[in-house]
Amino acid sequence: MAKLVLSLDGDVLGYHFLEKDRFSIGRKPDNEMQIDDSSVSKEHAVILTVGNDQILEDLGSTNGTMVNGIKIKKHILQNNDVIDIGRYQLRYINQKAKPGVDPDRTVMMEPVINLRHGRKSSETPTQATDQVDAAVSVARAANDNFPLGGVKGLEGIHAGQTLELNRPLATFGKAGVQVAVINRRPHGYSITKVEGKKQPLINGQAIGEEDLPLNDGDEIEIGGEKLRFFMKQAG
Amino acid sequence: MSIRSALEIATITDTGVVRSFNEDTIATEHDLGLALVADGMGGYKAGDVASGMAASIMVSELKRLLPEKPLTPNEIAEILRSSVGRTNRAIYQAAQANPQYHGMGTTLVSALFHDNRLHFVHIGDSRLYRLRHGKLQVLTQDHSILHEQVALGLISNDDAKISHNRNLVTRALGVEAQTECEAQDQAVEVGDIYLLCSDGLNDMVDDINIELALNALQANLPLTARQLVMMANDNGGHDNISAIVIKVLAPFPAVEQSGGLLSWLFGWLK
Repeated sequence: MAKLVLSLDGDVLGYHFLEKDRFSIGRKPDNEMQIDDSSVSKEHAVILTVGNDQILEDLGSTNGTMVNGIKIKKHILQNNDVIDIGRYQLRYINQKAKPGVDPDRTVMMEPVINLRHGRKSSETPTQATDQVDAAVSVARAANDNFPLGGVKGLEGIHAGQTLELNRPLATFGKAGVQVAVINRRPHGYSITKVEGKKQPLINGQAIGEEDLPLNDGDEIEIGGEKLRFFMKQAG
Repeated sequence: MSIRSALEIATITDTGVVRSFNEDTIATEHDLGLALVADGMGGYKAGDVASGMAASIMVSELKRLLPEKPLTPNEIAEILRSSVGRTNRAIYQAAQANPQYHGMGTTLVSALFHDNRLHFVHIGDSRLYRLRHGKLQVLTQDHSILHEQVALGLISNDDAKISHNRNLVTRALGVEAQTECEAQDQAVEVGDIYLLCSDGLNDMVDDINIELALNALQANLPLTARQLVMMANDNGGHDNISAIVIKVLAPFPAVEQSGGLLSWLFGWLK
C-alpha cells in the first residue's frame, strides 16, 4: 500500500498509509492527515485513489501545494514524489506507481465512483466525453528520439527545397500514378512503394515490394521528381 | 452494389514486441459487411480463448440472425445486442466451468455495414475510428478507468500519459453473467475509412499519426494496416496490435441487394 512519509526540515515525523479513497490533508482535525501549523490551510489538499492512480489535488490552499518543487493544482503521484505542504514535506512511496510502462495485463474493475458528486461515472453525459478523444500514449515522444533526416529536391516539384522528415512518415510522388512512403524508424529511414505500376528508383535501381532502408546520399526517383536523402548528425 | 464490392477491407494482427503470444482475435465476414476485433485478457492461454470465442460466436450469431433482406436500424441494433448478450453468456459459462479459464474476458468492437449505414457495438477499450474528409474521429468511448478519469476531469489528457490505469477496463465480455451494451449507428459516406483496433495500436501511436497514415497510404489498404502495426512496434509494441481498415468504395443500399440474382431466382421459383 502507498504511504506518505511526513518530515519537517529533514526530520522524519511519521508516516501515514493511504487507506482511504479520499485522503485529505489540512490543519483541521477532521482531515485524514492533520498538520496543525499556520502554514497549512484548514483543508489544504486531497489525494484521491482511482484504480492504480493516486491523484493529489490542491484545494485552493493559501500557500499552495508543490510536487518536486513545482506548484500543482492536480498531479498523478509517482513513486518518490516529494510534496510540499506549508513548511512540511511528504514523500510519496508506492513501488507500483512507477512512471513508464505498466507491464500488467488488462484487467477489469468496477467503474469509478465520482468522488465529488457521489454518483456513478457511467451516468456521465456523453457530450462531456467528446473532449477526451485524443489517444493516450506512453510512446508519444518515442519517435522524437528517432534519428532525424530529410530530403533535398533535385528535380520536380520540390526542386531546390530541403525538407526535414520529422514525422513518422511522408509520401512522395503523384497520387494515382506512383507514390512511395518514407518511414522514420528507430534506426533510420526506409522507403516503401505505396501505389503505381512502375517501381520507384533508388540510385537508379528499382525497389521491390519490401521496405528498403535508406542511406545518407541515396537518390530517389519517384513520380517525376528526384530527391536526395540525407541524415542529420546524431543528437 | 453488393456489400462485398462496396467495401475494401485489410486486416492485421501482431503479437507486438514485448508479449510472447497474441491474445487478440480479429474476424471479418465480407459478404455480411462485418468486422470485429476482440482483445482477450486473463492469464496464460485464457485470454485468447475468450477473444477467440467472442469472434466465432459473434460471427455465427450474426450469420444466423441477419436475414437476406433490408433491416431497420432498430432491428439491427436488437440483433447486435442479442448477439453480444449470447456471446457474453457463453464466455462467462466457459470461464465458470473450467478452472483454467477462470477470470478470462475480452473486449469487443464490432462494425456491421448495412444499407448505407454503419452499426457498431463495443465493450471495453478496443476502438472504432472514422476518417472522413481527412479528419480522424473516434466513434467509441472507451469503457476504461482512464477514460473515466479524464471525462470526470480528475486528470487531464496530458496527465493521462503518466497514469497507471492504462490497462483497467470497466466492461468486458465474459466477466459477469450479464453485460451492458449499446448499439449505435450512423450514415456512411463513400470515401470514409473506418479503423477497428485493439489498444495496442492507440496506446502506442497518437491519433494524429494514425490520421497521417490513413490519409497518406489509403491508396494501398494492406500497406496501411501493416504501417499502423509497424508504427506501434517502432514505438515499443508493448501489447498485441490488431487493426482492421475498411474503405467505403461505393454506396450499398440494401434494396438493391434484395433485388439480386438469388432473390430473383427464389421469387421466380415460388
